[in-house]
Amino acid sequence: MVSATKFDVIVIGGGHAGTEAALAAARSGASTLLVTQNIETLGQMSCNPAIGGIGKSHLVKEIDALGGVMALAADYAGIHFRVLNRRKGPAVRATRAQADRQLYRAYIRRTLENQPNLKIFQQSVDDLIVQDERVTGVVTDMGLRFAATSIVLTVGTFLGGIIHVGMDKRQGGRAGDAASNRLADRLRELPFSVGRLKTGTPPRIDGNTVDFSFLEEQPGDEPRPVMSYLSSNKDHPRQVSCFITHTNENTHDLIRAGLDRSPLYTGKIDGVGPRYCPSIEDKIVRFDDKSSHQIFIEPEGLDTVEIYPNGISTSLPFDVQQQFVRSIKGFEVAHITRPGYAIEYDFFEPRDLKNSLETRHLSGLYFAGQINGTTGYEEAAAQGLIAGINAARAARGDDAWCPRRNEAYMGVLVDDLITMGTTEPYRMFTSRAEYRLILRQDNADRRLTEQGRKLGLVDEVRWRRYCEKRDAISSHAQILNETYVHPGDTAIEAVLGQEISREYSLIELLKRPKVTVDSLIQAARLPFVNKEVNEQIEIDCKYEGYISRQQEEIDRIAAQQEMRIPDVIEYRSIRGLSNEVCEKLETVRPGTIGQAGRISGVTPVAVSLLLIYLKKQDFSAVGKKQGRSRSLKSA
Amino acid sequence: MSDQPPVFKDTIAARATPSGKGGIGVIRVSGDRVPIICRAITGSLPKPRFASYTSFLDADGSVIDKGLAIYFVEPASFTGEPVLELQGHGGPVVMAMLLDRCVQLGARIAAPGEFTERAFLNNKIDLSQAEAIADLIDSASSAAAKSAVRSMQGEFSGLVRALTEKLTSLRIYVEAAIDFPEEEIDFLADEKVEGMLDSILAEFDKVTRKATQGALLREGVSLVLAGRPNAGKSSLMNVLTGKDLSIVTEIAGTTRDVIDDYIHLDGLPLRLIDTAGLRTPGDVIEREGVRRAQNEIKNADRVLLIVDCFSTKGEIKHKVGELLGEVSSEIPVTVVLNKIDLNPDWQQELEDIPDNWIPVSAKTGEGIDQLREHLKQALGYVVVEEGTFLARARHLDALARARESVETGRQRLIIEKAGELLAEELKLSQQALGEITGIVTSDDLLGRIFSSFCIGK
Ligand SMILES: Cc1cc2nc3c(=O)[nH]c(=O)nc-3n(C[C@H](O)[C@H](O)[C@H](O)COP(=O)(O)OP(=O)(O)OC[C@H]3O[C@@H](n4cnc5c(N)ncnc54)[C@H](O)[C@@H]3O)c2cc1C
Ligand SMILES: Nc1nc2c(ncn2[C@@H]2O[C@H](COP(=O)(O)OP(=O)(O)O)[C@@H](O)[C@H]2O)c(=O)[nH]1
Repeated sequence: MVSATKFDVIVIGGGHAGTEAALAAARSGASTLLVTQNIETLGQMSCNPAIGGIGKSHLVKEIDALGGVMALAADYAGIHFRVLNRRKGPAVRATRAQADRQLYRAYIRRTLENQPNLKIFQQSVDDLIVQDERVTGVVTDMGLRFAATSIVLTVGTFLGGIIHVGMDKRQGGRAGDAASNRLADRLRELPFSVGRLKTGTPPRIDGNTVDFSFLEEQPGDEPRPVMSYLSSNKDHPRQVSCFITHTNENTHDLIRAGLDRSPLYTGKIDGVGPRYCPSIEDKIVRFDDKSSHQIFIEPEGLDTVEIYPNGISTSLPFDVQQQFVRSIKGFEVAHITRPGYAIEYDFFEPRDLKNSLETRHLSGLYFAGQINGTTGYEEAAAQGLIAGINAARAARGDDAWCPRRNEAYMGVLVDDLITMGTTEPYRMFTSRAEYRLILRQDNADRRLTEQGRKLGLVDEVRWRRYCEKRDAISSHAQILNETYVHPGDTAIEAVLGQEISREYSLIELLKRPKVTVDSLIQAARLPFVNKEVNEQIEIDCKYEGYISRQQEEIDRIAAQQEMRIPDVIEYRSIRGLSNEVCEKLETVRPGTIGQAGRISGVTPVAVSLLLIYLKKQDFSAVGKKQGRSRSLKSA
Repeated sequence: MSDQPPVFKDTIAARATPSGKGGIGVIRVSGDRVPIICRAITGSLPKPRFASYTSFLDADGSVIDKGLAIYFVEPASFTGEPVLELQGHGGPVVMAMLLDRCVQLGARIAAPGEFTERAFLNNKIDLSQAEAIADLIDSASSAAAKSAVRSMQGEFSGLVRALTEKLTSLRIYVEAAIDFPEEEIDFLADEKVEGMLDSILAEFDKVTRKATQGALLREGVSLVLAGRPNAGKSSLMNVLTGKDLSIVTEIAGTTRDVIDDYIHLDGLPLRLIDTAGLRTPGDVIEREGVRRAQNEIKNADRVLLIVDCFSTKGEIKHKVGELLGEVSSEIPVTVVLNKIDLNPDWQQELEDIPDNWIPVSAKTGEGIDQLREHLKQALGYVVVEEGTFLARARHLDALARARESVETGRQRLIIEKAGELLAEELKLSQQALGEITGIVTSDDLLGRIFSSFCIGK
């Protein structure tokens, strides 16, 4: 049976990538269908109940700046908020929220259900309809067929998913959900390059069986931060604390004794796991000399007693899990409600993607989320948004859009994936961003909301909020720049801790170390009350030297960076390029000169040779097209 | 920080004529900062395309040199960008000072073939020449690579590598503290980082001192003196340098170590390297000497093959042929026929010798002027845009920028407690060192973080 309506976009999978993809496509005006295995699990957090963290909240705020749902859901469901790196400076500051799983799912589902242009359908997709290297629709397990111009695949850890607990292994997409095997088999027939990755999760524990009385309590931060630019902390539900406990030598001995039945250490698992998110058995084997590891005890929600012990992800046999858990302080009589497990799943070589996240092999097909080799809700959601908007744009015949490395962590994420590929589950870190001082969580709106508006992703409410903030920043900054203070101004001198010998503008004084904008505003009795606005002025001022240097660098290389390399280029015919360099370029098939230069092993000389070749081709073959190929400008 | 011109401005500078040829040297500068550089060095912005005679000023206002300055506005210039040409009279030292001044004013030293590349990309060169230019860039860069290797040889490279390693270790701490703040490690708060910073700064000073010692002179063309023991290599070296350097003895094989010194032939800097000779080695020490000699020859621009034409009397040409066979055929050779004072019949025996065979006596000085003249002729053509000279200048520049960043980063941490700015400065520093040694990517860094600390929940 074929559905009568043809959609612009079909999104397969209702996880974090899928929901943002469906919402973005629909927001931008495309008629969209979200097909997912189970409507009850829309927005399900498979692993830890937390959104954000270093590098990750940067992504969340970018998604928010582009009108996405993740930050709003985290504010609605967040039961414990923290600011990380508070003392280390704004560029690396991050926000983390423990989320109530049920509230989070409810918010996501409600948003999806109320999104115009979006329809939801519960069914597993088993097959893609392919015609002449182009996808044209999907087939569900009941044999229903749906047609669409663009299709976004976001099926997470479900493709050929195998769950391991000790020597026991069974098929599954995550605990409680079936694996997608027919779809996985079908995708393996198509010309994609497939690999296996692995990740794991800790056992969950009944909080009523935990003795919290001797454990260190970790309350949320005050003042309490928010995720979304639109939220205030009045949107948050009741807040609760986390707790901290530790493993001990006894725990480690019990784990060591179980290693002979560990699927990781007996060769049962081939997939590569993330180095930064090791299982507890991994930590103990690799860091033999550490006698104790930290465990964060995180609440799973307000209406449940289950807790999530963050730090003991494991795939050891259940009896070993039980023993070692009970060796931990506070867990002496703990009851495990769900065993920890590891899961192996298929992912696709992300270097086969364009920066729109469209696959090179099948046009109209987009990949986002865990299937591209990433891990994490935020990474998945960010890709979902980019794939969703591009799927919609392609259906309308518009050019692809992807932020650049200097515009967004999203740009770093996509560029890293399509340029370097990955051999372990890829997670975002701030150290991956070369323009870290520009890409801050506090200014994602200033970096992206205008672009989002043009893309049709930002609604009226958000747009107005943004414009007010933007205008206030520039007008207040101007006032600070034009307000002069004079020697003898005791209020100002008290702020500075010293006398001033000539007149200064307030901005000049703000540049001094340790002088804050709030104290100056107070001393000068200016009526600036918007904390967000004041903060932006202060950061702009403190980082000015660095930002202008980075900006200069960006401008300098911009023209070259953006120069497009045609898909059909014959690297072997370029004079002077070594075989090794040719091979690398052929594997990655970079879309721009900038991307080519970032491939490891591609030297500046090779880039020069490439430039010269393109320049010549441009003239001889394409004639006047040069003006176009140079500008890969956003929408 | 903010008083200084930014370092990342993309204006390039380099010497434009081969040194040693003729009396003048040209520094060419291209890019947006040209007007600023021009004003700073010549005191004004001359009328475009007119040569004006002017003083070239150093930062303190002192005169570095006098000569012609020509300013070209874009796009009517060689590269299509604003271009400044400074033609001075000075030798390499003065040229180096001028170049240094341009770098201080925000230029960076051009990569090999970069002026031509820019000219091409800005439509100043016919498209039909694309291949020729590709070849030029390719070959200029391999020449540059050879120069860079030479500049990097010895202690300097070892020190820079050690420094890079130290910097990387520190970055691991700093980046881990930023990306993993919930681990039980806050490196930025303890004093360990401050200690590491201080020791890195001290290391920088040491390396810079080593690298600058005679750095300006220790450039140019390298000449290796080779020959059988007792042929007169040390004596010749002493004559050419005017100093008593190597131990001259009558026992064969005494010049065992590699000894080098620098001389100038009318502004053309030469590095002379005396070697232990080419003889089939005897004892361990000698073998080591011969190994080093062969090594030096590989990286040389020219070999001076010294032949004793007293002990080889009657069969000189034959002996020379034999010796030439021992030297790599890729490196040009000058045959120096020494000790003619001991061989009264030398003129007859050495009739019809090739131009690159020069009869001399290290003892009486006969023929030495001809040898100098010959070298000037032969070597003037070796020095291309990118010599060791530029490679070294680039290295020193990178070193200075790298140190500056660490110093600034230290202040950021100590005064402002701004760990993220320390991280930024350390990244810049490592990038600068990376220009000398190769680059560390963020993924390498993350890899080292994961293997050094137990990270992750
Ligand atoms: C055991 C485990 C441990 C993890 N540990 C961590 C961790 O420690 N840290 C971390 O950052 N992240 C972890 N994650 C990863 C995190 O859950 C994912 O990165 C994130 O959920 C990926 O989002 P996604 O949208 O790509 O896929 P998912 O959230 O997996 O969503 C996939 C969706 O597709 C649907 N679907 C699947 N197949 C079909 C089909 N054929 N037809 C229709 N719908 C389909 C599913 O029902 C689901 O809704 C873990 C995941 C698992 C399972
Ligand atoms: N008469 C004469 N003796 C020379 C000349 N050059 C070198 N000698 C002598 O030859 C011997 C060996 O010279 P030396 O420079 O040590 O040779 P090396 O082993 O090649 O370095 C010394 O005793 C020198 O004084 C020359 O041109 N004429």
